[in-house]
Amino acid sequence: MRELARFLVENRVEVGGLLGEHLYLSGVSVGVAAAIGVPLGIAATRSRALERPIIGTANVFQTIPSLALFGFLIPIPLIGGVGARTAIVALVVYSLLPIVRNTHAGIRGIDPALVEAGRGMGMTDLQLLLKVQLPLAASVILAGIRVAAVVSVGIATIAAAIGAGGLGVYIFRGIAVVNDTLILAGALPAALLALAADGLLGWMGRRLTAPGAPGAERGEVKPA
Amino acid sequence: MRGWLLAAALPLLAACGGADAVAVGSKDFVEQDVLAELISQELEERGVPVERRFHFGGSKLTHEALVNDELDLYVEYTGTALVAVLGRDPIHDADSVYTVVEEAYLDRWDLVLAPPLGFENTFAVIVRAGDADSLGLEAIGDLAAVDEEWTAGFGPEFMSREDGYPGLKEAYGIAFGEVKQMDLGLLYRALDQGEIDVAVGNSTDGQIAAFDLRVLNDNRNFFPPYEAVPVVRRETIERHPRVWDVLQRLEGVVTAEQMRELNRTVVVEDADIPRAVRRWRARHLRPGKTAPIAPEDTT
Repeated sequence: MRELARFLVENRVEVGGLLGEHLYLSGVSVGVAAAIGVPLGIAATRSRALERPIIGTANVFQTIPSLALFGFLIPIPLIGGVGARTAIVALVVYSLLPIVRNTHAGIRGIDPALVEAGRGMGMTDLQLLLKVQLPLAASVILAGIRVAAVVSVGIATIAAAIGAGGLGVYIFRGIAVVNDTLILAGALPAALLALAADGLLGWMGRRLTAPGAPGAERGEVKPA
Repeated sequence: MRGWLLAAALPLLAACGGADAVAVGSKDFVEQDVLAELISQELEERGVPVERRFHFGGSKLTHEALVNDELDLYVEYTGTALVAVLGRDPIHDADSVYTVVEEAYLDRWDLVLAPPLGFENTFAVIVRAGDADSLGLEAIGDLAAVDEEWTAGFGPEFMSREDGYPGLKEAYGIAFGEVKQMDLGLLYRALDQGEIDVAVGNSTDGQIAAFDLRVLNDNRNFFPPYEAVPVVRRETIERHPRVWDVLQRLEGVVTAEQMRELNRTVVVEDADIPRAVRRWRARHLRPGKTAPIAPEDTT
């Protein structure tokens, strides 16, 4: 443990750089996944015809082993290749499912009486979405983003195999030369990063939760 | 039900070769898999049961597997054994490297060095042929003119070995602007795509010719000699004396040119390593005889 501390201090510039790369890889991926996933989740609640293909595709993506997905993307022009871009594409794919599914479930889980009340007040579909459904589903959607963030911080370590950098660089190097300090120098900060992302998004979720929304109090759906 | 399960498991057990099989290992790149397959086929032909445990990991990991009886043999390179495994300083005379490694391995781990296979696979500093021509790059030292603007790509092992980037930096006084670490097999693609400008691969890699790349001379003689030698547990030789016969027969049979060609075949033309190795053996190990046609070849 002392060796690890010494290594991290001696190599703080490099560690900082790798941590930055790691944050960049997972942060951009979750951002892009949220930008795609939330609208897809909303679309899935609007149309029965879209619901199954959207949720089904996101499910299938999730089942592809991560190393296989990286390998599969490498020969593909434009989105593939060696480096950070490929890694981000793969991480977006993995982050989609929890976001799409939670957006869908969050909106579906809202008490129909509330939606009816909004409609009774003469709200349009868009107003209903922005003023009733999204605020009430916000905590569930954020919980999905939270899962996505933790998953992508973890999977981003594998991205080092395809030259995308990040903390996985130390893990792979440590495995190659059988050096526990090196392995931990990558694994420990990555684990801490995942915990920090989880904590931050959890805190944001609690702040954003509207009273009466599903998940407002220990995940129970309170009647309005 | 139980009988059915057992019947289903039997072929699996057979594939594992049983407890008495010789576990042949390899490190995590193509040439290693090719050499391990070559040795496996030679062993099998002489009736020694083989368990193939290829693509194990880096040098240190594969060595640990050998020491811990997970493997019975694998092919190591003398310079790697000296610097990366034994942790000694590089020596530049091939014979003394072999002798030093041979003695230390037997002494420390009861491991026996077989005769060299006949070729050397040194680290190779590789650039695109176009860059080499336009910038007049011939030797590693010439990189001093461009190192600060260039991005280098290395495998995970080269990053931290004493005969790797740390030593190279010191010997040549070069430090690249950016360094990307990736799987060894991806270096050539990254170089070809322009993701990196210079890579350190292996001199016998098949992609060097295939991708129109150029190897720079080690003009300061930084890298130690890296002769390919099978390393085998002494116990294994006692258990299967024929293993030693096979390894002795393989002394000097593979030239660097042949190794490069074999690697190229596997990487560029036909990824079926057992078939490529069978063909190579038919052509080079049994001159005058016709190639034995294995059932897999007929399809």
